[in-house]
Amino acid sequence: MNERTDHEMLDEVAVYALGALPPADANRVRAHIASCPECREEYNRLRSTASLVGLSAETIGDARFCPSTLLKPRIMREIAKQSAPARDSGPKMWPAYLVAAACLAIAIVSSMANISLSAQNRQMQTELSRSADASKKLAQSLSQTRITIADLLSSDAKHYDLEGGQIVTRGSHLYIAMHSLPQPPRGKVYQAWTLAKGAKKVAPSDTFVPDSNGVAVVPLPVDPRTMAAVAISVEPEGGSKQPTTKPIAVVPLT
Amino acid sequence: MRAFEALYDTHHRIVYGVALRILGDAHGAEDVLQTVFLKLWNSPELFRGGNFGAWIVRVTRNRSLDVLRSRATRNEGEFPEILPEEETLEDVAFSHLDAERVRAALADLPAEQREPIELGFFAGITHEEIARRCNIPLGTIKTRIRSGLRRLREALDQPVIA
Repeated sequence: MNERTDHEMLDEVAVYALGALPPADANRVRAHIASCPECREEYNRLRSTASLVGLSAETIGDARFCPSTLLKPRIMREIAKQSAPARDSGPKMWPAYLVAAACLAIAIVSSMANISLSAQNRQMQTELSRSADASKKLAQSLSQTRITIADLLSSDAKHYDLEGGQIVTRGSHLYIAMHSLPQPPRGKVYQAWTLAKGAKKVAPSDTFVPDSNGVAVVPLPVDPRTMAAVAISVEPEGGSKQPTTKPIAVVPLT
Repeated sequence: MRAFEALYDTHHRIVYGVALRILGDAHGAEDVLQTVFLKLWNSPELFRGGNFGAWIVRVTRNRSLDVLRSRATRNEGEFPEILPEEETLEDVAFSHLDAERVRAALADLPAEQREPIELGFFAGITHEEIARRCNIPLGTIKTRIRSGLRRLREALDQPVIA
């Protein structure tokens, strides 16, 4: 590819990323991207930027630009109606709890990225994309994300409800999966605690905070098969060696 | 169902906002909002990881353009909704941004770059039609779209100064 052609193709890649190429041109650029690392990299960069243009249209505050408050109940009624025959139609349809788990997984995916990546910092993200070593870490993080989603969607996962979320276990994996957890007070974080079977004292585990939507998914580095309970408390940043406040949740794994 | 409601509460404004901007009428935007969430409920497997917000924006844009297409014969480009895995890494950035910051970054772009980008995204027209509307050569439009997207990305990559 000579320089002139290269430049023109990168421009077309940008238009494709915006979604403004007619189908025939889009097919041609798509095929090129599949075989050209430089254009693929440019496409990956610009496609997410193009999606951000859509974010500028989010409607907040002004009631004139918000959907009717009647719409949500209407959608939920429709969903309930569609779900009803699903329970009776055999293996083709998902069981209700699996659908719920899928929705939870979908809701938490972006916060998974927050926990695993942005818990470091944005500069780290830039560096990650540039170095092979960092790419490996990123791949591991994605791998963990996919394992988590697979666990949460699995029909043999166990779900233990708590206010604002669930504890989910599957095999040797254990997760705190919150969908509506309030932000902790300034200077505080949530900390997980685990109680091993036969133990009298809890052991400190990971600290975490929910994202701005109250969503947090935290894989805990313990085997739930050897655990009797999981607890969550509010602790100072950096965590504590033993709980300093009354736990907001204590969940027996029985 | 509770988790799905949480999902709706978190994302319905962006879905409605994109649909409203593209279609220009509240009734159509509400129809798209309902279609998108019912589709998500019935086919959650369509989402294959990456950033959910970025994905649902693409789905909403495509559904909105479908509606426009049904109203008139058009020739729009579409985002792929199911993405190769490696692309999802870039979407991480999406979760750090809010609408106000994106609007500010867009507003900072020169009009000659901002207008073709917004036309391409929200009007759903091809670069050829953008060039005709702006009365600018096609090659120039393509370059401006690329320059604008790169500049937008650089602006949004900057850390927020509190």
